[in-house]
Amino acid sequence: MERRLFIKTAIALMAGTALTGAALAAGPITWWYETATPEQQGVITRNIIEPFNAAHPDDSLSIDYRGAQLDNQMRVALLSGTGPDIVYTAGPSYVAPMAQAGQLLPLDDYAEQFGWNERILPVFLEMGRYNGQLYAVPKTYETLGLFYNATLLEEHGWTPPTSIDELEALADAMLAENIVPFSSGNALWRPTNEHYVSLALNAIAGPENVYKALNGEIPWTSEPFAAAITRLNEWWQKGYFGPNYFSLNGEQQVAELAAGRAGMMPSGTWQFQHIETYFPPANAEAGFVGFPSTEDVGEPVFPLGVGSTFSVAATSQNPDGAAAAIDFIFSDETYTAMNTEWQGEWNTPLSDLSGITLGDDVLPLYTEAMQTLAQSVAQDEYGYTTWTFLPPATNSFMVSGIEEVWLGRSTVEQYLAQWDATFQQEMAEGKVPAIPAR
Amino acid sequence: MHRFYVVPTLVINVAIILVPALLTVALAFFRWDGINMPVFIGMGNFQALWADRVFWTALTNNIIWTLLFLTVPIGIGLLAATLLLVARRGSMFFQVIYFLPMIIATAILARIWQGMIYSPVSGVNGMLQRMGFPTLDPLTQPSTALLGIATVDLWHWWGFLCVIFFAALRQVPQEQIEAARIEGASFWQMMRYVLLPGIRPTITLMMIMTVIWSFLVFDFVYILTQGGPAFSSEVLSTLAYRSAFYDLAVGKAAAVAVVISIFGLIATAFYIREQAREFDR
Repeated sequence: MERRLFIKTAIALMAGTALTGAALAAGPITWWYETATPEQQGVITRNIIEPFNAAHPDDSLSIDYRGAQLDNQMRVALLSGTGPDIVYTAGPSYVAPMAQAGQLLPLDDYAEQFGWNERILPVFLEMGRYNGQLYAVPKTYETLGLFYNATLLEEHGWTPPTSIDELEALADAMLAENIVPFSSGNALWRPTNEHYVSLALNAIAGPENVYKALNGEIPWTSEPFAAAITRLNEWWQKGYFGPNYFSLNGEQQVAELAAGRAGMMPSGTWQFQHIETYFPPANAEAGFVGFPSTEDVGEPVFPLGVGSTFSVAATSQNPDGAAAAIDFIFSDETYTAMNTEWQGEWNTPLSDLSGITLGDDVLPLYTEAMQTLAQSVAQDEYGYTTWTFLPPATNSFMVSGIEEVWLGRSTVEQYLAQWDATFQQEMAEGKVPAIPAR
Repeated sequence: MHRFYVVPTLVINVAIILVPALLTVALAFFRWDGINMPVFIGMGNFQALWADRVFWTALTNNIIWTLLFLTVPIGIGLLAATLLLVARRGSMFFQVIYFLPMIIATAILARIWQGMIYSPVSGVNGMLQRMGFPTLDPLTQPSTALLGIATVDLWHWWGFLCVIFFAALRQVPQEQIEAARIEGASFWQMMRYVLLPGIRPTITLMMIMTVIWSFLVFDFVYILTQGGPAFSSEVLSTLAYRSAFYDLAVGKAAAVAVVISIFGLIATAFYIREQAREFDR
């Protein structure tokens, strides 16, 4: 009798353990995230982790902050068959090699199930495709434009430029007044260089030519690109970027602009998060317009940037839960909550923003800029940021190589020749990310 | 039987040093993006390096770095250690002060120098500029970027050498020092004929380790300039890092790592030969 009882108890314990194990295996959803301050971590916990777990009692979403080297850690983890359920990449250019290696799950069924095809702007779904299948959805999208110190411009009787010629005339006038025309600096983030290269390509060569080059129809050594980089180099040589470009970091750019030591700041929409920190204390008002284009290009172009994407790992034990968590992030409620507290990093590419009202504290300038960008994208009138559409080695060379041009260690022709050679090699290897048709 | 005592360390070395090292050497002959299957390309990565001007800039920078670190910190460290030996009073205090930079994390030191000393906005450099001095941030000029980084590393490094040399100097027989004093030896004669010969093995070891460490330098360069501006402060390890993690060219990065190892191996061989000579004596 005792023996029977022992066996029954043992079986019951084993079954219980197995069931618990099975439930646990289906429950946890892991997500690795990049650097976030304690305040930003609190915003994510309040607006994503806690409400998701409350709405999905069977799942348990957890987030692990991995710092600036997340991308490298993710690659190694996926290679060894470990890593999180939700794969957070540094942009579409990283998706193709991962999909090629079978590290990501196709998301087409989830897109159908959750209605992503209607809810997310189509151009962004195109970016996440590889061999016709959807592998990633962009977390946020951004654009480049021209911030300016509206108070400073008003004091000097200047107006925001609407063409490249006006931009140069204004910059020259600022130089004459001992004001740095472009508040800029790459001290902590060397790829800042590519913000200016992206602007030059779109505003001077034009997005149509960039599209052709990305598809291999014209080389990067073509005349429009030579003209764009030559003009960018002229701006550097004239001193538009100021004497401290290699000393200043991204936040100091905003501080310099707010203090009136610089008049304009060609930069991205992520800088909106610093505007309120520096402008009110300096009694100054900020302005933001599209970066002016040449006459041939026409209206200001908003280059489209995607700096991070979501995928589901092929090895995930809970792919349904991971997809549900991604879906939760793409809801109107999450968009409203995240953008109210943290502008510039959670601009998820939702098709319809008409039902969204951000909190009263949100800078109207930010809301306007995002609406203008969404409108441009919906009408297929957008440009291309290099970090989103160039393959990795080409992008890496483009960032460092432009410094050689600026500092006279290389010519524009040499720079573009190496850029093109690197791009052609990566194109042959299938590393160019998906380029949505125009 | 006593030979089995080396087995544990041998196993650890094979598992965590030899195997990854051999894999790195093997990878140098493949094209690999770190994600998909590697493709064998023979000497392709080394040929690419040979034709890459950035590689030669990086190699030159490593050689300049080695020469700097073989002279400046060793010279300052020796001088300071000798002074500590001569003026014993307060030597403990100064040892602690000199050694302090060594125990502060590299990232913090680098950011302090970048933000509080070199920066034209928030640093001493900016203060001097506002006072009318025509100073420049050395990290922003191609001609001075490497020296600017080396200055930070030298500042934190020489104190360590000073403490090592001081410890070695204290082992020099007191009778020899006393005898030299009685004979009327000057400070320089004492250094030349008594102290330096007495700590020769320590100096040799430190010089050999300096060569090895100089070819591995990464942290200060990466934090302060990331190899820029315009590749002017690129060193082999930052080139390898950029190749592996930005260009997704892991094979090329492995080839750079092999080049770094060759210099390390030469220095190690030299050290082993020196050690053998010491034993013979």
